Amino acid sequence: MVKKLLIAVIIFNTYSFASSYEKNCVACHNNMIVSIDKFFYRYLLKYSSEKNVKSSLAEYLKNPNKDNTIMPNAFIKRYGIKEKTTLNDDELIEAINEYWDIYKVFGKLQ
Amino acid sequence: MLKDLDIDLTKSETRTLLGFIALYSILIIVILSISSFVYFNSQKDLMLQKKRQVLQEYANDFMFRLKDLHVNFDKYQFYPRDEKFNSAIFDSDKTLIFSTLNSQNIEFDEVAYTSNNQIHFINQPESYYLGAKYIVIEIPDDGIWKSAVLKEIGIYSFFMFIFMVIVGYFMSKLFIKPMKDSLHLLDRFIKDTTHELNTPISAIMQNIEMIDKDNLDDKTIKKINRIEIGAKTISNIYEDLTFLTLKNKLISQNENLNLTHIISQRAEYFKSLANSKKLSINLDLQEEVYLKCDNKKISKLIDNLLSNAIKYNKVNGSIKISLKSNYFEVIDTGIGISKENQENLFKRYTRFNTSAGGFGIGLNIVSLIAKEYNLKIDVSSELNKGTRFKVSW
Repeated sequence: MVKKLLIAVIIFNTYSFASSYEKNCVACHNNMIVSIDKFFYRYLLKYSSEKNVKSSLAEYLKNPNKDNTIMPNAFIKRYGIKEKTTLNDDELIEAINEYWDIYKVFGKLQ
Repeated sequence: MLKDLDIDLTKSETRTLLGFIALYSILIIVILSISSFVYFNSQKDLMLQKKRQVLQEYANDFMFRLKDLHVNFDKYQFYPRDEKFNSAIFDSDKTLIFSTLNSQNIEFDEVAYTSNNQIHFINQPESYYLGAKYIVIEIPDDGIWKSAVLKEIGIYSFFMFIFMVIVGYFMSKLFIKPMKDSLHLLDRFIKDTTHELNTPISAIMQNIEMIDKDNLDDKTIKKINRIEIGAKTISNIYEDLTFLTLKNKLISQNENLNLTHIISQRAEYFKSLANSKKLSINLDLQEEVYLKCDNKKISKLIDNLLSNAIKYNKVNGSIKISLKSNYFEVIDTGIGISKENQENLFKRYTRFNTSAGGFGIGLNIVSLIAKEYNLKIDVSSELNKGTRFKVSW
């Protein structure tokens, strides 16, 4: 009984202290065939700078449609367009900032 | 050429000519600098155009490797390097992503340019691999083209400058020609006039000297005196003109002259002229002062100073002539000469007062004679008070 309770507390704590990005992005993307970093590099390929990548990503997440997606038609046909984000602006910005910091190229090249 | 005409270019004319030459030279230098600059840049563009093909190949190769890195960024993160060139990548906000460049001076608006002895080529790929909107390829600039172009510019500029200077020389001669012609005409006129004056002046002077004034009544004597004054004035002008026109042909007969004697003689000669203006001539002459020079020339110098002192004096004024062991001076109580006019005092044909007669050659003769005998002339004058000419040796 104590052991079960301890596991429940650990799971609860992990979820409670997880970031907005972990809770709202990674949680779903982990179940997808295409990993979340591939989306990032597609954005980078099209929008280049930090400012452009972040703003286009935020725009898509708030209003996802066929016109502003960066994924190819075949991918959209198969998996469809995602649902609108339920996050408010602050949470969305926080999640996108973390996403950028994890996968950005700056400071990683050798 | 001008010397043949007995005309020397005066200081201000020489100054004008020098000013023209200086201005013309500056103009040539500016034109040559601009054309050199344009030529240098066109040669630089030509060099960059030639290098662009190689640089484009390097950029394509680099982009291919960048694409590979973009795809496999999760596996390895080694920036593509090449011994043939350096490179840098920037995002669309021109923020540096990574660089191996030697010169960090990037001109994003250019395609190819030189910077700190490096040639930069900026390529903008359609897809921004690793976010790179700008790819900068850098190769060293060996500078061979530059030294060849500079050498070429140096040689052409030199010959062009020489050519332009020769053109300028002939241009300046063209500019001077009207002035030279005017002076030539004036000199010719004076020479001709002088020649025509010779016989009548001699006749008048000789006949006046021959008149026995003791047998004449006062009225006639007065008239004769007036004729004498007029004749002396003309004679003085005539001698001045003769001096100028023949000065190159006159041989100086220098001898030790008694200046005391000559000055008092010349003062006596001008007495009748001074009387006509009611001027008093005061002499303060030291005895037995000698100077080695030509009698005619020193008399001419004194005559001109005295003649001016009379001509520009006020009625009832005075003239003081002093002679000391190393100088003599003529002081008048005349109209004076302004400071600005004093600078051009000894220039030929310069006259400051048109009301009095003359050609403006008297003081020019004084300066020519003084120059020949190393005499120093000091002029001090105050408007409406008088002038003092001091001749020292």
